Amino acid sequence: MSEQMSHELVDELAAAFALGALDADEARAVAEHLASCQEPHDEARAALGASLALAMSLERVEPSAGLRDRLMQTVERTPQPWLAAAPAPLQERPARARGWRDRLLPRLMVPLAAVAAVAVIALGVLNLNLQSQLADRDRALRAVADAIASGQAAFRVEGQDGRGYVVDTAGSGSTLVVADLTSLPADKLYELWLLDAAGTPVAVGTFRPSATEPAVVHVEKDLTGYTTFAVTVESQRVDSPTLPNGADSLVMVGAVGS
Amino acid sequence: MPHEEALLAQRIQTGDREALGELYDQYASVALAVALRIVADRGQAEDLVHDSFVTVWEKIDRYDSARGSLRSWVLTIVRNRSIDRVRATRPGIEIGEADAQSLLQTDTNPTWDAAVARLGSAELRAAMATLPDEQREAIELAYFGGHTYREIAGIKGIAEGTANGRLRLGLAKLRSSLRLTDAAPGSGGTDQ
Repeated sequence: MSEQMSHELVDELAAAFALGALDADEARAVAEHLASCQEPHDEARAALGASLALAMSLERVEPSAGLRDRLMQTVERTPQPWLAAAPAPLQERPARARGWRDRLLPRLMVPLAAVAAVAVIALGVLNLNLQSQLADRDRALRAVADAIASGQAAFRVEGQDGRGYVVDTAGSGSTLVVADLTSLPADKLYELWLLDAAGTPVAVGTFRPSATEPAVVHVEKDLTGYTTFAVTVESQRVDSPTLPNGADSLVMVGAVGS
Repeated sequence: MPHEEALLAQRIQTGDREALGELYDQYASVALAVALRIVADRGQAEDLVHDSFVTVWEKIDRYDSARGSLRSWVLTIVRNRSIDRVRATRPGIEIGEADAQSLLQTDTNPTWDAAVARLGSAELRAAMATLPDEQREAIELAYFGGHTYREIAGIKGIAEGTANGRLRLGLAKLRSSLRLTDAAPGSGGTDQ
């Protein structure tokens, strides 16, 4: 349906779309068109977000005292599918008198104990069939799978721009495998960081992701002595005793090390 | 705010229940206002708010901060689930479809965000009051009544194009009105 929807019709229906006043098929077609169309669609895009103003125009109504507790009780017994599949429970990191890292890492995956299961999860998340991959990327992915299968530790990293795993191939560095990374404009790149327990960052590489494939990035350093892996967006490679821009450019983070 | 929301979403996605509690503390009263306006029953409205935040917990991995604010997504979930509830006696969308539409409808733009950030609910209501009656009524039938523009045409006995036109003109005028209000000296408002 989206292929049949003209620019003019999208503009015509944008207000109804923004107000949730389209049939499901029409709404989907408008959303897909706006997400992919190169035309500005100024009027249509101007309508988006109007529902927020309508909702916020209402006088607020305080919920009854027990509603929050009821929600928390429900959530406690409601698994999140992507975490329920992981074999290792969430654990609090040891308390440290550190800055941004501790604010960002209230709870993160600890090293995954069941290595075989980790391989299944990682490959599932990335939706890859290693056997069918070719050339360099295939070899890199195989190396990651082999590292996991041979008992190397894998650590989950995630954030607003993607999710993946860091595999510690002890003695030969480490490898980041991450899917769904947001493409960057030409003047930006992703930079990788390792931080030790004192919070000191070390820049360990940069990369730009492909628009169509998971990123597989080899890092010369292995993870020994480090507690956190982070990915930031930068204009150029930087080596800094502190993360540039504080946490503003941070797009993924994960706890590493046992 | 957007960056804070992105981090909050990230924490929820890592299984941090306290983060969901923080999200609830920020938006539960707005969410309840939306649900109550639509279903007009306090008990049902609270159930809907509860279920909507559970949905956030279960589907936070689908939230895309690049497409819109977490607040917009939460309130859209609440709105769509509430609409689904009142549509129980007439053809409507089911919960799965309502949640899917929530993802579609989360897109936002700086104009609305800026207006909402600066203005309180009273100012936003005042802006709504500047609309011609037929446009305001069409917008309210759509957003709070859950009617499509075709249904609005049937309800009001007007052509579908006219109903759709009232939504377009109403939003355009509302946007214009919020800009004017935005530019007025000392226009900062307070939430209620």
